[in-house]
Amino acid sequence: MDPFSGEGELLTITTAFYTHAYQSVLDYDTSALSSDNKKTAQTLKYRAQIALGQATAVLSSLKSSKDAASRSIVALAQQNSGDSSAVETAASLAESDPEDAVVQICAGTVLAAAGEYAKAIELLNKHQGSLEAVALLVQIHLIQNRTDLAVKEVAAAKRWAQDSLLINLAEAWTNIREGGSDKYQSAFYVYEELASTPGTTSPTALVGQAVAELHLGRSEEAEAALQQAVALENVNIQAIANSVVLASLVGKKPEAVQELLQQLQEKDRDHTLLKDLAEKSQAFDTAAAKYSAKAAA
Amino acid sequence: MQFESKSSRAKGLAFHPKRPWILVSLHSSTIQLWDYRMGTLIDRFEEHDGPVRGIDFHKTQPLFVSGGDDYKIKVWSYQTRRCLFTLNGHLDYVRTVFFHHELPWILSASDDQTIRIWNWQNRSLICTMTGHNHYAMCAQFHPKEDLIVSASLDQSVRVWDISGLRKKHSAPTSISFEDQMARASQQQADMFGNTDAVVKFVLEGHDRGVNWVAFHPTLPLIVSAGDDRLVKLWRMSETKAWEVDTCRGHFQNVSACLFHPHQDLILSVGEDKTIRVWDLNKRTSVQSFKRENDRFWVIAAHPEINLFAAGHDNGVMVFKLERERPAFSVYQNQLFYITKDKHVRSYDFTKNAESPSLLSLRKLGSNWVPLRTLSYNPAERSILVTSPSDSGTYELIALPRDATGASDPTDVKRGSGNAAVFVARNRFAVFATSTQLVEIKDLSNSTTKSFKAPLGTTDISYGGPGCLLLITPTNVVLYDIQQKKQLAELGVSGVKYVSWSNDGLYAALLSKHNVTIVNKSLEQVSTLHETIRIKSATWDDSGVLLYSTLNHIKYTLLNGDNGIVRTLDHTVYLVKVKGRNVYCLDRAAKPRVLSIDPTEYRFKLALVKRNYDEMLQIIKTSSLVGQSIISYLQKKGYPEIALQFVQDPQTRFELAIECGNLEVATEMAKELDRPKIWTRLGTEALIHGNHQTVEMTYQKLRNFDKLSFLYLCTGDEEKLTRMSKIAEHRGDFVSRFQNALYVGDVESRIQMFKEIDLYPLAYLTAKSHGLTEECAAILELCGLTEDQISMPEPGDGLTKPDVIVQTYKANWPVKEASHSSFEKALLGEVGVAVDEDARSDLLNEDIPVPTDGNGLAAEDDADAVEGWDMGDDIGLDTTGNDSDFVNIDNPDGPVEAAGPGSSEADIWARNSPLAADHVAAGSFDSAMQLLNRQVGAVRFEKLKPRFMEIYQASKTYLPANASLPPIVNYVRRTLDDTDSRKLLPFIPRNLETLTTVDLQEGYSAMRTNKLENGVVTFRNILQSLLVNVVNSEAQVDEAKALIAKSMEYTLAMSIELERRQLAAAGDDSEEGLKRQLELSAYFTMPKLDVSHRQLALMAAMKLAFSHKQFSSALSFANRVLANGGASKLVEQAKKVKQQAERSGSSDKIGIEYDQFADFDVCAASYTPIYSGVQSVSCPYDGSKYHIQYKGQVCNLCQVCEVGAAASGLRLWVKGL
Repeated sequence: MDPFSGEGELLTITTAFYTHAYQSVLDYDTSALSSDNKKTAQTLKYRAQIALGQATAVLSSLKSSKDAASRSIVALAQQNSGDSSAVETAASLAESDPEDAVVQICAGTVLAAAGEYAKAIELLNKHQGSLEAVALLVQIHLIQNRTDLAVKEVAAAKRWAQDSLLINLAEAWTNIREGGSDKYQSAFYVYEELASTPGTTSPTALVGQAVAELHLGRSEEAEAALQQAVALENVNIQAIANSVVLASLVGKKPEAVQELLQQLQEKDRDHTLLKDLAEKSQAFDTAAAKYSAKAAA
Repeated sequence: MQFESKSSRAKGLAFHPKRPWILVSLHSSTIQLWDYRMGTLIDRFEEHDGPVRGIDFHKTQPLFVSGGDDYKIKVWSYQTRRCLFTLNGHLDYVRTVFFHHELPWILSASDDQTIRIWNWQNRSLICTMTGHNHYAMCAQFHPKEDLIVSASLDQSVRVWDISGLRKKHSAPTSISFEDQMARASQQQADMFGNTDAVVKFVLEGHDRGVNWVAFHPTLPLIVSAGDDRLVKLWRMSETKAWEVDTCRGHFQNVSACLFHPHQDLILSVGEDKTIRVWDLNKRTSVQSFKRENDRFWVIAAHPEINLFAAGHDNGVMVFKLERERPAFSVYQNQLFYITKDKHVRSYDFTKNAESPSLLSLRKLGSNWVPLRTLSYNPAERSILVTSPSDSGTYELIALPRDATGASDPTDVKRGSGNAAVFVARNRFAVFATSTQLVEIKDLSNSTTKSFKAPLGTTDISYGGPGCLLLITPTNVVLYDIQQKKQLAELGVSGVKYVSWSNDGLYAALLSKHNVTIVNKSLEQVSTLHETIRIKSATWDDSGVLLYSTLNHIKYTLLNGDNGIVRTLDHTVYLVKVKGRNVYCLDRAAKPRVLSIDPTEYRFKLALVKRNYDEMLQIIKTSSLVGQSIISYLQKKGYPEIALQFVQDPQTRFELAIECGNLEVATEMAKELDRPKIWTRLGTEALIHGNHQTVEMTYQKLRNFDKLSFLYLCTGDEEKLTRMSKIAEHRGDFVSRFQNALYVGDVESRIQMFKEIDLYPLAYLTAKSHGLTEECAAILELCGLTEDQISMPEPGDGLTKPDVIVQTYKANWPVKEASHSSFEKALLGEVGVAVDEDARSDLLNEDIPVPTDGNGLAAEDDADAVEGWDMGDDIGLDTTGNDSDFVNIDNPDGPVEAAGPGSSEADIWARNSPLAADHVAAGSFDSAMQLLNRQVGAVRFEKLKPRFMEIYQASKTYLPANASLPPIVNYVRRTLDDTDSRKLLPFIPRNLETLTTVDLQEGYSAMRTNKLENGVVTFRNILQSLLVNVVNSEAQVDEAKALIAKSMEYTLAMSIELERRQLAAAGDDSEEGLKRQLELSAYFTMPKLDVSHRQLALMAAMKLAFSHKQFSSALSFANRVLANGGASKLVEQAKKVKQQAERSGSSDKIGIEYDQFADFDVCAASYTPIYSGVQSVSCPYDGSKYHIQYKGQVCNLCQVCEVGAAASGLRLWVKGL
């Protein structure tokens, strides 16, 4: 039986992982699982730890492990703690153990995060029915603005795993990118369902819901969802980032927007939005310097 | 099945046409009157001797008639509960009796082979019809015409014409029953002729005796039932009648039959223990019902509603032929439902409009069997319908986008199952009772998983996201589909329907007589019981459940508090509550809107939620006063709130006492002024330590003792002294003594003893207080000496207690008597009067400020257009030529298969020649190029916030895979365009926001004299519009007008601010004064809205007047008067005008202001530019400058270069 399917015993932990409820992943009691699943669950727990920013803990617990899977997890942890050797490790693992499912995912993530999209795609394409690999591929395609490929990937995966949460999410990602009210709406449904189902309500689900609503032009509802997300977990970075977007979108006072940006700055200095804005601010100044009035006042 | 009674064999039945009553005549000689709704026996009538076979209600009068084996026909009143009279004449068993629908006639059929017509008003036999040559089993009037049909064991059915009889007896029918009774004795029965009723047709076809016959309510049809086990259908015309067809199926004698009152159906019952339903048109069996042991003898139909009754060996059953509950589903503001003719329709609650038929489901299920449930899936816009036919089927059907009238569904997926509901966007659950299996299916109708339902499950229902409610006769189970796990179980029996609250947090489980409210984890919140059957329920947005019973709409709060909202004439199925409207479907599946008064439950809800503001609102605005609400509040422990409602002093007093509000209590006590009231008040006040009130009540009650004691307790010596005086006046010695004790006044005590001749005591008192003189005096008075008396050892004299705290000065509160928050809210409302209107004036206090914020007089509009002298500059290039396109890529260039594609931001920049779109795309460089070319924009740093605002609003961040940054998505201007060549970004702070928010803000800054803010606001509008887009050509004009207006306001405010700066600098030189006067004059020049211009004019007028510039003042005054407006303003202007004229209307200082010339004000130097003088203008906002300012940055928009060559701002491109 497919351990990730709706019937499997890993359902709860994987669902939590996919919806970024990392603390629930860590808290999940794995003692009752079969040994195979236990291993998978442990991998998920390591990855959750990394996502929570506890990379060093993972590094120390995997210090002595030499198998490819563990090394790929180590690489992921290293990357998160800012160690640039991670990409090399990942690349070499992709050469040496491209068939290992864990390596595919972890090394693939490392490569994708480092912008090595071609290598990441090459590695991930070797997957054997791994939904996570599909999800990663979809995201990489979207990053590269190849919505067409992402849609294809989702469509292919839906043939064999229609019921999977991850595929539903991946479809939501492509839908939001593709746009049109129907697609936005269907993405909205995916997130709304997640957010309203007891046990799977996570800030990520709410943020997804808010983003879909934002694209649907329902800014009030989006704001409510974002507030709910922040209320659930006040350090949710994506919720704050999207709040910035929302505030600008509805034309709030500049002070309010600045305050949100400040918050984001405190929580995650390296957020895409901030980096992007800093870059644009720079570009603005450079461009603006080219112009001046013929006469001074 | 509605109702079932147990009794001996039921032979006759009659429904009351209006009330939920049924008469049952029994083989045991009893007649029973039942309320079938409540299931109670109302009455019994026992006067017949032997079986009673015929029975009928009168349509309008409180009468019924019965006929029995005692040959008697009896007419009864159910009001007086007795037999009024008996009609004798038949010579054998009476089989049936019926009232005529309008004439005062009774028709009877008897085993004496005759059919007779009786007049029940004069109690006479008016016609006897002979012709049958065996028992006449049944005879009925035609519902409209003068016809009778009869059935007999002689195997024939006869139709009789009684028009002759009617002519003869066209007695007025409007005479009341009582009158007729009075007159009855005078009339006599004279008819016994046969010509009154003639046989019209004899219908032969039954092979055995015929037991029953009936006319069709509207068509010329007759149905008969016989011992040959057949039901026969006959048709007649004016001249003949013939057999149409036969319904075969009964395998024993058929006892009775009838036509369905509204549908093309025949119903029959027989001794084979079955009820059978036949299709009138096809004469085929539609349905049949078999009873285990009881033969059926009679059947009756309710004349109005869908109810039938059948009498059998052991009683009566009342039943519905079909389910009347329409299948429906509500999604947001839409109701989807299935009509009686099986069309799917929708109803829009916001528009109150019914759609045309969306689909016809006629082919679904069998004819005559309504569909059971409908489940709607908004994501796919499809419906799931179940039908009970073929032991349960379901169909999944996609609804068409538009209602195009009744079309048959095209894409249908079906299967068998008894219940089916959507459980998720792309999943539904199907349950089959036979297998007890719940299957989860996807939209292609293939099973993705299945599980066994708990034993005895009868139905399933939606259970919240990802969950199902499984309903068994005794339990409800909450089941998680994903985990295949039972999450919770609750013992509620007989649940039939589930209604979820709008927020999905609560559900109401409806069973026949109970409503159980549970939360989404299936924990019971409250439950209530109704004696009347519960039909439906729906939730108010505020979390109040409204439910309908057979005859009421009621509400219940989550805490179980319930009450009646309104009564119902007909049963309805609630679907939605919105404000004061309840939307429901009636039994004919027609949407109806009922109005309700939600005040009561809203109030109670507010009470529960302690939302005092809302309560206050309700109290103020509604007439919610009544004993019930008061007692409710009192019961719930809110006497202080109840207090707010009550006028009646007695009740108010009680409530005030209860909540310890002594002020109100005192007030009411004064009004009532009864000793009992005062006593209670006193007691209560004492508990509160409010001795002042206590004192007052004692005074009122003239309770001197207590009063004295109170003064003693509170240490009020002065009043104590007064009390003793009063006691003296009253001659009350005990009281005097007591008071004297309290005040420690020995002398007065002695005095008193002496007065009442108690010298020994007086002596003793004097002695013990060491008053030897007094002792001597007493002794002398008594003529005794000290030796002559023997006395006990005197104790110490009584010393008066000292007052430590002067309690009497203030109350000594011993009980918390704070105002409840509700009262606080009540009190607070006075202070709430927000002084929003207290704006500071532009000039000084005595100039009234026009309140009209956006008063845009028509003439002023015209002004604005006139003032728009840069129309040419902006010249919109609507041809869409590409000269302005920057960064042109090949939009459809082939993209490498594996390489990255172009982002949507790039596409935006590619698609649009508008600067704002380039900004959103992050292509600042090209945006600046565009703006520079269009409006000569040069100082971009002022636009940076605007650029960043647009850019920040362009992208969202969607979290995706772990440890990867979020996916970036692009916010679009329009939702539905997906063609990449039409994609454009969303631009925040659009024209609408600017006009409705920012502009108003600017206006209010003007009104309230906050010019520093105002100038910023208007400048922001200018800058926001500079980088913006609009949707239409009309909006382009609007935008132009807004730019012009903002420019004028910015200019005006800048001028005035400049003047104030001068004034503040305190430059008193003539030069300085002159400049100030000039500036104040220029302030009146920009084209402001009239109301605002008046302010400027008034300011200029006052300034001029106060500096003796009478000529200028006069001209301003004239302009104010010309504009008119607020009277106070006009008056002031008039006054100024008069004085200025009187003072010679000349200026003391010559200023550069020609009141008669038309000029613009230079936005840099604030000096006039008279027409004809060369000037330059800002290419964007059109502000004018003296020629020497060419090349500088515009002072108003602060972005563009004055006099720069520019092609004009573009905000819109056709076809984009």
